[in-house]
Amino acid sequence: MSNEHTVKSYEEELQNLKDSLIKMGSLTESQMSDSMDAIIKVDKDSIDKIIKSDDEINKFRSKIDTQIMNLLVKRAPMAIDLRETISSLKISQDLERIGDLSKSNAKKIKPLPLDLPEELLSNLKRLGDLVIKQLNDVLDSYINKNFDKAKTVWEKDEQVDDLTNIAMQSVIDFLSKDKKNLDFSTHLIFATKNLERAGDHVTNIAETVCYLIKGEYLKGSRPKGKQAQE
Amino acid sequence: MNKVKIKSKNLNVHYGQKQALFDVNLDLNEKEVTALIGPSGCGKSTFIRCINRMNDVIDICKVTGKIEIDGVEINDENLDVVSLRERVGMVFQKPNPFPKSIYENISYGPKIHGKGETKSELDEIVENSLKKSALWEEVKDRLDEPGTSLSGGQQQRLCIARAISVNPEVILMDEPCSALDPIATAKIEELIDDLKKTYTIVIVTHSMAQAVRVSQKTGFFHLGKLIEVGKTEKIFKNPDNKMTQDYITGRFG
Repeated sequence: MSNEHTVKSYEEELQNLKDSLIKMGSLTESQMSDSMDAIIKVDKDSIDKIIKSDDEINKFRSKIDTQIMNLLVKRAPMAIDLRETISSLKISQDLERIGDLSKSNAKKIKPLPLDLPEELLSNLKRLGDLVIKQLNDVLDSYINKNFDKAKTVWEKDEQVDDLTNIAMQSVIDFLSKDKKNLDFSTHLIFATKNLERAGDHVTNIAETVCYLIKGEYLKGSRPKGKQAQE
Repeated sequence: MNKVKIKSKNLNVHYGQKQALFDVNLDLNEKEVTALIGPSGCGKSTFIRCINRMNDVIDICKVTGKIEIDGVEINDENLDVVSLRERVGMVFQKPNPFPKSIYENISYGPKIHGKGETKSELDEIVENSLKKSALWEEVKDRLDEPGTSLSGGQQQRLCIARAISVNPEVILMDEPCSALDPIATAKIEELIDDLKKTYTIVIVTHSMAQAVRVSQKTGFFHLGKLIEVGKTEKIFKNPDNKMTQDYITGRFG
């Protein structure tokens, strides 16, 4: 949309909303990246910092809610502005949930031993890297209103499902080697599942971005990995 | 979707040298509300005035192209304009009751159209029209008071009652709520919703929110051209035309 609103303050309010969402997205991405690093390095010193960063994300969610309410009340947005407003509400909800999942993963670091097997960590890292890349791409598609990029993210959730299965299998193998591993393996299973769920929220955001750009929902169901289909 | 009640084909209107409408092709469905939106001077009022040939009273106005109601061309020289206006009623921006009693405001139309020959028949028409326009309960005990003694919102409902008293098929509304407060507006909108079960309604409005609330179909006019027409939901959520989007989102310079 090249034309600006006749009412300048309306233009500013919409821009402020977009800015808030971009900042929230950037914080969520950093938090997820920090949380992933901390798991892989079993870095227990970072836990508190990651948990705290979730407060900042939640504050943005409240701020965005207020901005949306004000826009709806003051401007009764239509067409692209309406879609922009409603999409911001949905995207901010998904980002908040991703933040919660990263926080939850940070909490799971505490009971982990420092000598986790390399293969297990590398499979978990591959999954984490992919989810972070997906989040980065979807935020980029939102900023640049790039439909194709958002749709690619949506389609790539299949790979997240497949890597989740591989990572999950590594944990199960580790667990079956020694019953003593049971306690913290459970945490690793939940951490893996959290990453998959974060990937699902990224997919939701991709769907929202596609709707925002074209005004139509993507047709059909998204491609799913083997395990997810069953 | 309901059947097409009114069809305009390549409709052009000139006021002297100035062209007000350019090749307008627009179908209006029966027992539906169609909203016409667009900036002032875009031709939306000119368009609805073609439907009951109100433009005939303007000497310099020239209408070409076709408007059909139920497949019959209404610009035919032999067509009786009075009977056309019996079929196509109109409500204006400002409530304009006759300087007569509430009763006479309603009974006047049926009388000149030869309906309601006896007092009891007229009484029935007046009561039914006022009931349909949701005004009966408020005025039933003071039918002999002047129409102008009513509040603005009541006067507009009186004008709607007057329009429906001759049992029309179509009601044209040219910004019917622009002079009313939000409560009176809400009552008129509620009434429109009810009236569409019986009548085909065309409403010109500057309020996008009103167009969304009351209509099933919306047409956007700009500089005398029909830019886009479609389901109201589609027009206000995801219009096809950039000009429509610019207008409804407030991006018109």
